[in-house]
This record gives sequence, C-alpha cells and structure tokens, in this order.
Amino acid sequence: MALPAFLQTVEEMGFSKWMRESDSVFGFYFILLLHTVGLALLVGSNAVVDLRLLGMAREIPLVPLKRFFRVMWTGFTINVTTGVLLLLAYPTKQLTNPDFYIKLTLIAFAVWIMHKLKTNVFDDSTLSETAMMARGASLAKWSLALWVGAITAGRLLAYTYRYVTFP
Amino acid sequence: MYLAHLHLLLNHFPAIGTLIGVILLLISLVGKNTDLRRASLIIFAFIALVSLPTFFSGIGAQGAIKGEAGVSDALIDTHEGSAMLALFFMELTGAFALAGLWQFQRPSGVSRWNLPLVLLLSLMTVGLMFRVTATGSEIRHPEVRSEVAAAGTHETGVSGIVHALEPSPTKFTELMLANKFWWAFMMDMHFIGLALLIGTVGVLDLRIMGFAKGVSIASLHRLLPWALAGFAINMVTGVLAFIGMPIFYTYDLAFWIKISAILLLGLNAAAFYLTDAFRSVAQLGPGEDAPAFPKFIAASSLFLWFVVIAFGRYIQWFSDNVPNIPVH
Repeated sequence: MALPAFLQTVEEMGFSKWMRESDSVFGFYFILLLHTVGLALLVGSNAVVDLRLLGMAREIPLVPLKRFFRVMWTGFTINVTTGVLLLLAYPTKQLTNPDFYIKLTLIAFAVWIMHKLKTNVFDDSTLSETAMMARGASLAKWSLALWVGAITAGRLLAYTYRYVTFP
Repeated sequence: MYLAHLHLLLNHFPAIGTLIGVILLLISLVGKNTDLRRASLIIFAFIALVSLPTFFSGIGAQGAIKGEAGVSDALIDTHEGSAMLALFFMELTGAFALAGLWQFQRPSGVSRWNLPLVLLLSLMTVGLMFRVTATGSEIRHPEVRSEVAAAGTHETGVSGIVHALEPSPTKFTELMLANKFWWAFMMDMHFIGLALLIGTVGVLDLRIMGFAKGVSIASLHRLLPWALAGFAINMVTGVLAFIGMPIFYTYDLAFWIKISAILLLGLNAAAFYLTDAFRSVAQLGPGEDAPAFPKFIAASSLFLWFVVIAFGRYIQWFSDNVPNIPVH
C-alpha cells in the first residue's frame, strides 16, 4: 500500500522522534500513563452514573451525581490532549489501522451519549428520580456498551497494526 | 531488589496464615463467635493478597539458584505447579472471604452459603499450601526430600492425584501465549476492570475528600461490590498475564512497584475499615464534611491507585531493572 508522504514528514519532526526514542521518564510511557488515567476518570465516573440510572445502588440520590460530569470532561480533555501527542509519535502505525477509526467512531458516539445524558436527564431539574431513570435507562445501556467497545478497540490497536513507522 | 530474599521472607505466610485462619474459623463455629469469624475472614483476605508477591517472586528465586549442583529442575517444576494450583484456591478463598466481610455490614447480613463455602475452600487451600511448602523445601533441603522426589518417580496416593491436577508451568505459559487475541482479550478485560475499579473507588474517595457533598458517603459505599468485581477481573487477568510472560515481569522494576502499591492499598483498606474511620463517615448525611483522618485515607487511596496505573504503564520501560542475584 502506498502511504501518504505527510506521515513520514510528521515522523521526522523533532517531537515525534523524541516521543519514540527518548530515554526520559517523561517520554512516550508518561503520555501513555496519562492516557490511562484519563480513561479511568472518564469511563469510570460515566459507568457509575450509568449503573445508577440502570437501578444499581438506588440509595444514591441522582441529582448530586451531576457533579461527576466535570470529572468525565476532565478525563476527556486529558485523553484528547494525550491522544494527539501519542498520534504524533506513531502516525503511520495508527492512521493505517482500520481499528483506529473504529475506536474514534465509538468514542465520538460515547461522548455524544454522555452529553445527551447531561442535557436530557440531569439538566432538567423538574424531573423526579423515577422520570430521570426512565429517560436515562436506554442512554445508560448504550453508554456502557460504547465505552466497553472503545476500550476494546483501543487495546486492539496494540495487536492489529500493519506498519510501525514509515517503511 | 533481591527476589530470592523476598520469596524466602514471604513463603511461610500463605500456609501458616491460612492454617491460623481456618483454626480461628473453626473456633468461631464452636463458640458461635461472630467477631472471631470476621477476624478469620480478614486473615484470609490478607493472606490472599500476600500470596501474590510470594508467587510472583518464585521465578526470581529460581533464577538465583538455577544451574547449581544439587538443584533439580523437575523439583522446581513440581513446586511451581503446586504453587499455581494453591494460589487459585487461595484467591478464591480470599474473594469469598471479602464477599462475607461485605455482607457482614449490610442490613440483610451474611448469606447462608458464605460460611460453608469459605470453610471448604480454606480447608482445601491449607492442604494445597502445605504441599507447596513441602515441594519448595525439597528444592534446597535434601534432608527432607521424600524418596519419591529423590528418585524422580511418579507420586502415588493422594499426592499423586493432586499432582495430576496441578498445571504444568511451561504448558500453562505456552497456552497463554498461543493466541495473540487471547492475550489482547485479557489486556482488554484488565482495562475494563480498571475503569470499573477506579470509577467506583475514585468516586467514593473524591466524596470523602469533599467533592460532590450532596451525595451521602454511605450511599456511594453501596457501589463497593462493583469495585471488588473490577479488582477480581484484574487480579485474574494480571496473574494469567504473569504466568504467560513470567521472566518479562519478574525482572521489571515497574511491575514490583505496582505490586507494592497494591499491597499498600491493602493496608490502606485495613486503616479505613478496622479503625473508626469508616464508622465516622458512614453516618454522614448529604452536605456533611468528613473528619481529617478518613480524608487522608481517601487521598492516599487515590494516590496509590494512580501509582498502580502509572507503573502498570511503565512496565517494559523499566524492564531488566531487577538484577538476578545468585544466592549462596
């Protein structure tokens, strides 16, 4: 397959090289760990809200859980930033892998659902708990499924790539 | 780090610890003493945690004596296989002990199946663990070597049956690596378990520290079984990954820092549940602030989980940073 030349241009950039080759603790692995921490914040707190909407731990009042959307957006911001940096290190590896586009699509849908959960369920202060659960249940199911899919697609990136750097 | 020393330091805990746990459990049954029963469950959970570094340090201990005169690879293989089987039963015992401890503090109390199950599993674990210590001591102590082990012939009777059920370490390792997508699946589950665990524990920690005070701590605490489920998924996939690439993990410093942080989290949980800390926050309603000590425990829990994730990711970057030191 002919690879677009800009991938090589990116890979020859100083930052891209530094990410791949540096011996510093703050190189590739540091960015990767921040990407994992961001995942835990984003998916972890979203899963808690999803599980609560699906009827687990009913003792938790729903309304105050709205605060955790801030944790989710923090995680999302961390992961967009670190994700771009990771992509700069290995553009060929990721952009030539169909699984990468599956991952991005799943994340796009999962974040869209997350936003809908906030606006449709939590921002409407007239709703009772039962009404919130009724309105949020199917969104919550989709959210859980999409996040599991996104994590799976992300993990599979390590096993399904065809080119590691520009050939 | 001296893995052989670590192995020798830890290797008496699993057998003797579980035995003490079983004795306490039996006394608690005779005396109908609930406190004693809780104590035995705490011991099982603690020993299940300590058994992990004991198991993980075995390869390093083997590396330190490999090739020396009088050291038999066959005896080490038998020891490793017996340790794997015993570890599986130990972790099952620990899991059901934790389930029992969780049920102790819920209004409906402990379910009927918990006691017989923990008793049965712990009794089997004691037997298997003593077999591990026996096969382990035979490696370096010719004076306790059985005639069968010395001659290298097959075992008979009960130990023969147990031996037949024990996994062969090399075959198990091959099995884990046989298919790339089995490995991918395990790593995937490890990340999903991570999200489940950090999501629930992290939300609880944040609330104790003063975030989202509108939620009562007791209600968030009801999510704890999901955290335990996440931990269980990650322990199983983690142990299987170790079995798949034992040398890779053994000589990696980041792996040992991660395991140490997990053990410290065990102490952290003990500091929370075995002191007044949990009781002092469990009764707090919406809007109420937690005292300083539980806040400190919640903050160190968040920090240690960060260390676990961070050094989990640094595995491979730190590889070959643990020296293989010969023991004489």
